[in-house]
Amino acid sequence: MSILLFFLASIGAIVGAVGVVALRNPFYGVLSLVAHLICLAVLFLLLQAEFLAAAQVIIYAGAVMVLYVFVVAYIGGQDESLGTSHGVLRVLTPIFVGVLIVELLIALLGSGLSAVTSKGAKVSTMFGSANQIGDLMLTKFLLPFEVASLLLLVAAIGAVGLARRRVGYGPGDVPFDAATIAAAPPAGTGTMAEASGDRPVAGFRGEDR
Amino acid sequence: MTLPISVVNLAEPWWVGIIKAIVIFAIGLQLIPIILLLERKLLGRFQGRYGPNRVGVFGLMQPLADIIKLATKEGFRPRTSVAFLFMIAPAISILTAVATLAIVPFGNTVDIFGTEVGLYGIDPSIGILYAFAFGGIAFYGLMLGGWASGSKYSFLGSMRSAAQLISYEISQGLALVGVIMMAGSLSLTEIVEAQSVQGWFIGPQIVGFMIFLIAGFAETNRAPFDLPEADAELVGGYMTEYGGLGFVSYYFAEYLTMIIVSALTVTLFLGGWELPFGWYTPGWAGPFVVLGKTLLIILLFIWVRATLPRLRYDQLMTLGWKILLPLATLNTLVTATLLVTT
Repeated sequence: MSILLFFLASIGAIVGAVGVVALRNPFYGVLSLVAHLICLAVLFLLLQAEFLAAAQVIIYAGAVMVLYVFVVAYIGGQDESLGTSHGVLRVLTPIFVGVLIVELLIALLGSGLSAVTSKGAKVSTMFGSANQIGDLMLTKFLLPFEVASLLLLVAAIGAVGLARRRVGYGPGDVPFDAATIAAAPPAGTGTMAEASGDRPVAGFRGEDR
Repeated sequence: MTLPISVVNLAEPWWVGIIKAIVIFAIGLQLIPIILLLERKLLGRFQGRYGPNRVGVFGLMQPLADIIKLATKEGFRPRTSVAFLFMIAPAISILTAVATLAIVPFGNTVDIFGTEVGLYGIDPSIGILYAFAFGGIAFYGLMLGGWASGSKYSFLGSMRSAAQLISYEISQGLALVGVIMMAGSLSLTEIVEAQSVQGWFIGPQIVGFMIFLIAGFAETNRAPFDLPEADAELVGGYMTEYGGLGFVSYYFAEYLTMIIVSALTVTLFLGGWELPFGWYTPGWAGPFVVLGKTLLIILLFIWVRATLPRLRYDQLMTLGWKILLPLATLNTLVTATLLVTT
């Protein structure tokens, strides 16, 4: 059962990760990242790290990705290519990816091959529980924990500062005037076709836009 | 030999788990039509009319008629929609709602034909975080449904419900930290047991209780926080384009979430399966006590819906971020200080 789950979750995670890179539509890219993260949470569950799995789903799938979905759903969603890449990037990207892959392979194979014949590390009964993680965070890893929260605080303050910046009308801007807009509605507004989106509707017999 | 209630399900034979799964979900899903009818009847009375009274005696068959009508409808979707996501979104909604039902504890350990059985589906060590994890995934049910419909009303509705969901989830989670600190455990069964010793948490954690309940109203998209479905502005919110079984899934998921939020409130603040005033509760009575208390909270939901007008969007955000969140943080700090000093 756990082996079956492991393979299902691993395949899901790999397919999701490939999908993020390969899909052209950013909305589907974000969705496959969500699928990838949920599959990772299943893998954490198989490693008896229940708290980590829950945190993964709550924080990444439930909070971080929600903001991604928001932004992409509002401004993205079209099948657009991201533009031609620069010459420098075209050389640098494979180098960085290659270095990263080699590093990960060293880490994985180095620890994995030595443990392949053993029965795996021993885990205590409390392993991965909220108690143990809380204990470690407030004793052994107190300093990194506090530094990370300070970093998040700085980021939050920065975001508030950026959002609070008020910009008035520029020289070329037309002030909002409800009367002009009401007097001359753009063609095609106020119809069912508008309500159902911008995509062309076959058989729609309203006025041409 | 009696095991602690939070681990008793690990020692049960395999078939007990299957029976519990069937019984819990059968009863949980059967509650929905009853609550639907109750709500429509009560809303009618609140507004000085009869409510449904044509199908069956006193209109008791009304939910059945509704379900038959919806189930036999032709399935269709707008030409602008995305077929795959349009189909899968209601399924995500109902799946996450049903999965959360599994952690509600319905009673103490009982002896059934010589087998120790804990009256709950599962009791993971992460406890209440399980509910929040599935709540996080439930967002995608609403969001994908609204986006994949290819309709602006649906899209705006889903955006609203998503913003509402993530704004109030934080306050809801923080409101529970006080309870978790007092009980010293995340496990729901252990929280109930702690309440039988320390008294119900609604007393010391009254602020947490209020915040949790208000955030629960917002989480379930119920009045006065039903902006996603504000009929006058948005036709029907994220489910505008759904008919037939897709609509039923969303509708059921919404009411099931309401039941779960009520049951979690009962478990976390109102002593779970314990009767008030220290009355002795026999083991078999646990589920009835839980269901009775849950029904009372649901009546509160209906009462509030009939009483309060809908909030404006900015009022909703102000309440969530500027009132509930600081209050929940303060509650956590005060509880922690009191627990450490006393």
